[in-house]
Amino acid sequence: MSLFTATLNKTIHTGKRSFVWQSLAPLLVYFAIFSLLPIIWALCLMFFEYSPRRDGYDFLLGLGKDNPFVGLKHFKAMLQGTSKEISSFQLSLKNSLLFSSLVLPLNIVLSLCLALLIESIPQRLRILFRTLFFLPVLSSSVAVAIMWGYLLHPQYGLVNNLISSALGELTVISWLADPRLSLFGIPVAMLAVVVAYLWQDLGYNLIIFTAAIQALPKQFAEAAQIDGASAWQCFRFIKLPLLYPTIALTSIFTLISAFQVFDLIEVLTDGGPFDQTKVLVLDIYNNAFRFERMGFASAESFVLFLIVFFLSLLQLRILRQRWSY
Amino acid sequence: MLIHPTNPKWLNSREAAITLMLVPCALIAMLPFIWMIFASLKTGAEIRQLPATFWPNQITWGNYQRILSDPRLPLGLYYKNSFIVASISTALTLFTSSLFGYILAQFTFQGRNLLFGFILATMILPFQVTMIPSYLILLKLGLLYKLWGLILPAGISSFGIFLMRQFSLAIPTDLLDAARIDGASEWRIFGRIVVPLLSPAIASLGLLSFMSHWNAYLWPLIVLKDDTRTLPIILTWYSNQHGTRIELTMAAAVLISIPILIVFLFCQKWLVKGITLTGLR
Repeated sequence: MSLFTATLNKTIHTGKRSFVWQSLAPLLVYFAIFSLLPIIWALCLMFFEYSPRRDGYDFLLGLGKDNPFVGLKHFKAMLQGTSKEISSFQLSLKNSLLFSSLVLPLNIVLSLCLALLIESIPQRLRILFRTLFFLPVLSSSVAVAIMWGYLLHPQYGLVNNLISSALGELTVISWLADPRLSLFGIPVAMLAVVVAYLWQDLGYNLIIFTAAIQALPKQFAEAAQIDGASAWQCFRFIKLPLLYPTIALTSIFTLISAFQVFDLIEVLTDGGPFDQTKVLVLDIYNNAFRFERMGFASAESFVLFLIVFFLSLLQLRILRQRWSY
Repeated sequence: MLIHPTNPKWLNSREAAITLMLVPCALIAMLPFIWMIFASLKTGAEIRQLPATFWPNQITWGNYQRILSDPRLPLGLYYKNSFIVASISTALTLFTSSLFGYILAQFTFQGRNLLFGFILATMILPFQVTMIPSYLILLKLGLLYKLWGLILPAGISSFGIFLMRQFSLAIPTDLLDAARIDGASEWRIFGRIVVPLLSPAIASLGLLSFMSHWNAYLWPLIVLKDDTRTLPIILTWYSNQHGTRIELTMAAAVLISIPILIVFLFCQKWLVKGITLTGLR
């Protein structure tokens, strides 16, 4: 019997071993080519001047020779350079910061308010409303950009026509193309892009907040109601503090994806007017695929990585923190 | 307010007030869609009429007819491309993620923790960082401007592996050992026991991945051209070609975005589950 068990054990053990290596080997090769190699290559590229049209020494990565090593040149230039590409990078970084800092508070406040409203109506209506607000999330951002481009069209757009009929005179505002327009020092084109982005992105956080509100323990709110707390007090001193961890995490996710915005802006304005809406990823794309400055573009994408990395560290801190009530 | 009797069929006054507040919000949320659909049913003359009309004066299907019969816009081909890319990428991702995740969770081998740590680390890398080298790899492999070039890099995802590993941890090892003692081969165990147990996670990951590949824009913009383009790329191309013919662009946008939107709507339950489960964007 024990001999049988031992043989069985051995068979199972060799079976497991061969299964692991049989299946893991091709997976690892696949992972190495399409995940590991790009990371290594990206880490190298930012120290070179690079274009795929030029030859390098080695066959695989094509670095060296006509794609010379330039060390930290790109990063030094980012800090002190004055050339056209550098000022374009600095502007795009500034625009990305502006875009994200506009999106974050608006998105969180609006989606949290909507979630609270939706959660206080009966189930059937709740599902209906949630579906309606979720539709833009499901749409492709290209279609969203094309819709908004027409909504904001200077002559035929709905927005200008509504304004015209409200004022009683023909109003032509070029929301997306007039560089002179600004509101509180923020270019109007940037605001328009933010509005379109919010319209599409709200549904995500709405879903997360409704799930979080549903999961809130009921007893605290009920106890407060018995003690005579108003609906506002109940929200401000009980629900909101219980939601802090969710709000913090959602804020970080929102920021990370706002820093990576590309589709909507590329289609709506392509960075215009006068680069007022040119964001970091758009500048990376332009440098890499329109001007073939792939070394500099890689250095830029490393800056994007640093931002995302910093935000992810924050996220880990939030997850580790003990939330006590 | 607390101990009011609630009639389940009717809204109480507070609920009615909140619903009344939500209705205009929902209308605003739907307005861009409605404006697009109405525009696609108007004639070119009506589009350029000032002040603009909201409801179409006269509903015309001419815009749709023109797009569907436009020889320069074989929509069927682009639908096929999008479908091939999204479904094969998703199938590949699901296969590699569940197998990889299962092995990381249920087997011990040298370097396992190192490998898992590395996968975790690559998860926070934004796509834009590896976009340039991935393009160069396709260039070297001769896969640029081919659908496979789009699919292959998308077929393995650190996030998918991580998700499936977390779900595989919950599978009781005793169950797997029982099957082993009964003589089931390892592949059979994976196919007959592990995959069915992972199916809720597979459904959520699959839908999210299909949706993101279907709507993807940046990566297809870089690696596709001509006959291999997918729908979002075609939509911007068409809109640039017909900059002044808004009614045509809107009809194209409806044809390209609405059918799949309805499909996604039917899968909403799973998508919502996936989002709340993973926090994925």
